[in-house]
Parts: sequence; C-alpha cells; structure tokens
Amino acid sequence: MVISKKVEFSASHICRSPQLSDAENERVYGPAANPHGHGHNYVVEVAVEGDPDPVTGMILDLKRLKEILDDKVLEVYDHRLLNREVSPFDHVVPTVENIAIDIWNRVAPSINGRGRAKLYSVRVHESSELSVEYRGEE
Amino acid sequence: MRLTVRLSRRYVFFASHRLHSTALTEEQNRETFGKCNNPHGHGHNYEVELTVRGPVDPVTGRVVDLDLMDRLAQEQILAPFGYRNLNEEVAVFRTVVPTTENLGAEVDRRLREAWGRTFPAHGPALEKVRIRETDRNICEIVRIV
Repeated sequence: MVISKKVEFSASHICRSPQLSDAENERVYGPAANPHGHGHNYVVEVAVEGDPDPVTGMILDLKRLKEILDDKVLEVYDHRLLNREVSPFDHVVPTVENIAIDIWNRVAPSINGRGRAKLYSVRVHESSELSVEYRGEE
Repeated sequence: MRLTVRLSRRYVFFASHRLHSTALTEEQNRETFGKCNNPHGHGHNYEVELTVRGPVDPVTGRVVDLDLMDRLAQEQILAPFGYRNLNEEVAVFRTVVPTTENLGAEVDRRLREAWGRTFPAHGPALEKVRIRETDRNICEIVRIV
C-alpha cells in the first residue's frame, strides 16, 4: 500500500549550466535561462510504501511525515532562490528533475529503516503542466 | 435581443520577486513581509484571469476576438513578466513593491492602456483582472463598466 502527502513551496531558480556556453544555455533552457531568475509554486508529493500497522492502522504516522517534510523540504526550499540558497544547486542545475532527486535524498534517511515504511516516490510539480517522479535508484 | 455575457480567459506566467520597501528599515521590512523579504527573492506560478463583458456578436457568436485578446496578453503580460525577476527587470517594480495587489494593478494598467488600440470603442470591455499568486493569495481589480 502506498500513501502520499503533498506540500507546496514557492521558490525561484535559474536554469543555466556553467558547462554550457551562453548560446547553448539559451537553446537548451529557453527563457528559463534568464540570469535574473524566475519562479514557481512547486507542489511536492512524497509517497511512502508499506503495510499498515495492525494496531494503529497506519503505514507511517502522518504527523511524523509532516514534520519530516516541514524540516527537510519546506524549511530548506520555501521562499528561496534555489541556485544560491539550496545545496547542491550551486553546482547542479535546479531543473525539476534534479529537485525531485534532491528531495528524495533529503527525506529518504528520515523515512527508510524506521519501522515499516519505505520511501516509494517523490513527485514534483513545477506547474500544472509539468511534473516529474523519482523512485530512487532503479 | 443581444445577450450580454462575461467571458474569462486565463494566462499563466512564471516569475520571481522580493517584497521589500525602500521606505522601511531592514527590520521593518522583515516584520512586514516575513519570508517574502528574503534578499535573494523567490517565485510563483502566476495566473491572470481576464474577464471581458459585452454583447455576443450574432454572426461569430463571440463576445471577444480571442486571437486579439491573446496577442494583447502576450504583449502586455506574458512577454514583460514571464520568466522575469520582477524587481530587477520590470521598471515600475524598482520603486513599487511587487505584491499581488501592485502586480495586479500594473497588469490592469497595461491592459487598459492598450485595450483601446486593440478593440473598437463599443467593443468588449475589460471588466475584471484577477491575479492568483498561490491558491491562497488572489487579488481582483474590478472596474464598473
């Protein structure tokens, strides 16, 4: 069984790779390469897999999951310029793909190996038209 | 009988901003704007909903030429604001704080200024500009027409 919880944060980012020329950055990222940055309301869905505890009926205490998401995601990402204020985006391009991987890496240690729950997927919506899902190393 | 209708169309753009007033001290800014005062800024998926009011044209069955309206929105909203840092790249927001209210007012001002050049005098009227910064922050600018 998989249960998921959703949180939202607002952040800005710049999609430019130092390994590409200005012209290549413009071609690859289009207007998102604007060096002044732009922003999004990101929606993050974290899904946890496991069997419900026979006593509580819960896979993972949702209060605990909320604390993890507040602490590891919102505290870090909300109202930030990702390139300057969130590692590893000083050297990794903060595409929605890399954001999903980073959130997985931040929340996995708090969820996995503590009881019956296991992190199943991290889905990040950058807009209503675009989202990615990461299920860890496959 | 020509029916009067209201038609709303939605446009989306992505931008960053910082809420900070030069008329306030650093501490007052932090108190007033909280985390929105973060010096590096942050961003949103802004949605602008334009409501047009007018009679339905009996031939076309439309209240407004949507191609014209889209072109107007592209020129006046999406091009100047989309993928921009509002404080740094939109002149008015060098001095005016880019709150949802002020951003809505600027969108409204730009559209109204261009509206008369785009649509005939007795054509569709722009009745309302609604701007949504997040699901919980929405600002409407309504003109009685």
